[in-house]
Amino acid sequence: MGPLIPNGVIPYEWSNIIAIIIGIAFGFVLEASGFSSSRKLAGVFYGYDFAVLKVFFTAALVALIGILYMDYLGYLDMGALYVHPTYLWGAIIGGAIMGVGFVAGGFCPGTSLCAVAIGKVDAIIYVIGIMMGVFIFSELYFLFQPIYEGSFEGNITLMDTFGVNRYWFVFVFTIAAIIIFALSDQIRKRVKKIFY
Amino acid sequence: MVNRKVAKVLTFRYTILALILVILAAGLVLLPKYQKHEGINPEELLSKAISPERYISTDILADRLVNQDPSFILIDVRDEAEYTKYSLPNAINIPLKKLLDEDSVPYLNQSQYNVILFSNDNFNADQAWILCNRLNYKNLKVLKGGLNEWFKTIINPVKPTENMTALDFELYSTRKAASMFFGVAYPEQFKVDTPVIVKKVAPKKVITVEKKKKKPAEGGC
Repeated sequence: MGPLIPNGVIPYEWSNIIAIIIGIAFGFVLEASGFSSSRKLAGVFYGYDFAVLKVFFTAALVALIGILYMDYLGYLDMGALYVHPTYLWGAIIGGAIMGVGFVAGGFCPGTSLCAVAIGKVDAIIYVIGIMMGVFIFSELYFLFQPIYEGSFEGNITLMDTFGVNRYWFVFVFTIAAIIIFALSDQIRKRVKKIFY
Repeated sequence: MVNRKVAKVLTFRYTILALILVILAAGLVLLPKYQKHEGINPEELLSKAISPERYISTDILADRLVNQDPSFILIDVRDEAEYTKYSLPNAINIPLKKLLDEDSVPYLNQSQYNVILFSNDNFNADQAWILCNRLNYKNLKVLKGGLNEWFKTIINPVKPTENMTALDFELYSTRKAASMFFGVAYPEQFKVDTPVIVKKVAPKKVITVEKKKKKPAEGGC
């Protein structure tokens, strides 16, 4: 049956409209759960708030387990899902830059737009910074191109790379996530409380 | 009282949620595994197999060859010996046994060209078609009737009899022209037209028979 749009259950023309609806819902939930505050987001690096870590790990887990169950029951063809291609060095360097930006600015790109929507000045400056970064990258693309397109690994997944059973992988991943949640709670208790 | 009980349970809410995740993940590991169907799903294969669109007729193929259509490649799935004996122009030989070899994949699994499979009849080409479709290769067609049909229709077209329609005669002349393109020689090509000597019609001499003047009756006896 699924995925819905490639299999024609939902016409292809609806995909943009559905994307907008999901985007609005996502932004609303982000804002409502306090993710438009740079203090809350940066808390994960200073150890006083692990909401970001927990939320994104839980989201990944729920999606993983849900997709695997749907695949098992035949509602979803996992082979038809899009796997993002891996450009190894591009991903490593880009991830490092994004991490530095995350610590320094207190936003990730999605939450910064969310904060712009409620009129936060720091977020507005952050987004202007993003735009400048985009501009510089585009203008100097010829310099970055070898990194950007190099070390292409194809549409690989962790299961393929390590050759492990995907169900066992998800089980171990779940246990690891829960241990990380418990540990992060312990760290939070030890760190001096910060009110924000 | 109820509220206090609920509150008591709710103090463990994160533990409960974590447990749910662990149980679900463990369920994935423990569920009995079954062999998943890979590649094209059976319904799709069936609907493709019974669709007449997967065939290309010899007439259309001849037309494309004559017009040098670059959008397709011909693949001969017969043996090499048969291939060397006769094959269609520019055909690539991939015997059925070597169909799944690594060397033949680039020809079959691509999206630039239509692939037209043929053998002596449909059968081997159909087998190749099914195998390739199971592997989810795209743009595959089978030459209807194979080379036998090719010979019957294009190389050696049957002359329509006089009681057939004009369309049949038209088709015959197209096929004949196509066969000439593929190198068939017809005796009438070599027949030198002997000029028909039109005899000059000699102007008829009108021989006017002079009427004998009636001689005035001579008085006789």
